[in-house]
Amino acid sequence: MRWTPAILHSPAGERVRCDLCPHRCALAPGQVGACKVRRGAAGGMETATFATSVAHTDAVERKPFFHYRPGALALTLAAPGCSFRCDYCVNHPLSQYGREEGPAWEAAPVDVPEVVAAAAARGACVALSYSEPSLAVELTLALAEHGRAAGVEVVWKSNGFLTPEAIDVVTPALAAVNIDLKGLDEARHRRLTGAAAAPVLAAIRAFHQAGVWVEVSTPLVPGVSSSPEDLSAIAAAIADVDRDIPWHLLRFTPAYRMREENPTSPAELAAAVAIGRAAGLRHVYVERALGEEGRNTRCHGCGDTVVERGIWSLGANHLAAGDCPVCGTSIAGRW
Amino acid sequence: MGHRFVENLPDLIQPEEYQDHPDGRLVRLRIRVTDEGVEVLGDAMRPEVIERVLRSLGQDPIDQMLCG
Repeated sequence: MRWTPAILHSPAGERVRCDLCPHRCALAPGQVGACKVRRGAAGGMETATFATSVAHTDAVERKPFFHYRPGALALTLAAPGCSFRCDYCVNHPLSQYGREEGPAWEAAPVDVPEVVAAAAARGACVALSYSEPSLAVELTLALAEHGRAAGVEVVWKSNGFLTPEAIDVVTPALAAVNIDLKGLDEARHRRLTGAAAAPVLAAIRAFHQAGVWVEVSTPLVPGVSSSPEDLSAIAAAIADVDRDIPWHLLRFTPAYRMREENPTSPAELAAAVAIGRAAGLRHVYVERALGEEGRNTRCHGCGDTVVERGIWSLGANHLAAGDCPVCGTSIAGRW
Repeated sequence: MGHRFVENLPDLIQPEEYQDHPDGRLVRLRIRVTDEGVEVLGDAMRPEVIERVLRSLGQDPIDQMLCG
């Protein structure tokens, strides 16, 4: 693992306080934080996240983004680490770096100009995903700086667990972010993730207010987010920020430390869609289990289908400069 | 005993099958001979189940798609 200088820290007596995530670890030199990828250093901090274990190119719909450049490619990088330790994480062999015994985590330093050039050649954005991208804030800023001249944007699939000052630093670098909102009940959210829920909702609001395109994903985790009451509360909270924010409902997969539960049924997902719409959300999506109807975008003005999608792919985009071709209603997004 | 994270793997289980397996016990395997040897592709509604099956067949590392 290669350690490089980190930003977002402040003095805390003889220690340094990490100001990237709300854990706000106070670290002695050499001491690693709760995320396992940032550590105290003489006079500052260091990060292990200027590296990636993958360089995958796939559709931006897989992140998922449904209202950000439909059909575009995303060159996906994954730096080590996560500020959450979710019990159901399908990506745990990658995301839980530093917390699990197992094979060595393999990553290579990121050559930023090379990544940007590769993305530009395919008309792709650069996505940070699979693990927690906010821990790679320094990499994000470097990618955005180099990407600006090449027309390459940077997007995140994030848990949204950032401090306000971290959000301020990173918003100019991000075109879009999909944030997982896994629940609002603090005790249950903390049991599931090891972290508080309130900063996540605050991040959704802050990114949205800063003009970053925001979509939200909610996995229907049994006991945390799958009940109608929990889903109603989550949907209402998103609608309170903006009812145009797309809400992605994710099927729970039994994995990692939650292997006894059953996967989410299609009927539960259909009921969750209805809950989202009843809360006023205009765009509620289920990627696979409900077929095309779960993935397509309908105009909230006339009901016409304006974007058709396959599984993780664009079928057809009928929008005219972001407007419904039938009634002219503007559909929110970065089209 | 590791994982190799890959961009894409074919689906052997389709969304239309979800409602027929509410307890998530469906596992599907495809075994075929290729120029490189024997290829074993697996899909399951519970990832650890297919991982156990592939490990028992001596697969190491296991190719895995990631979420997100």
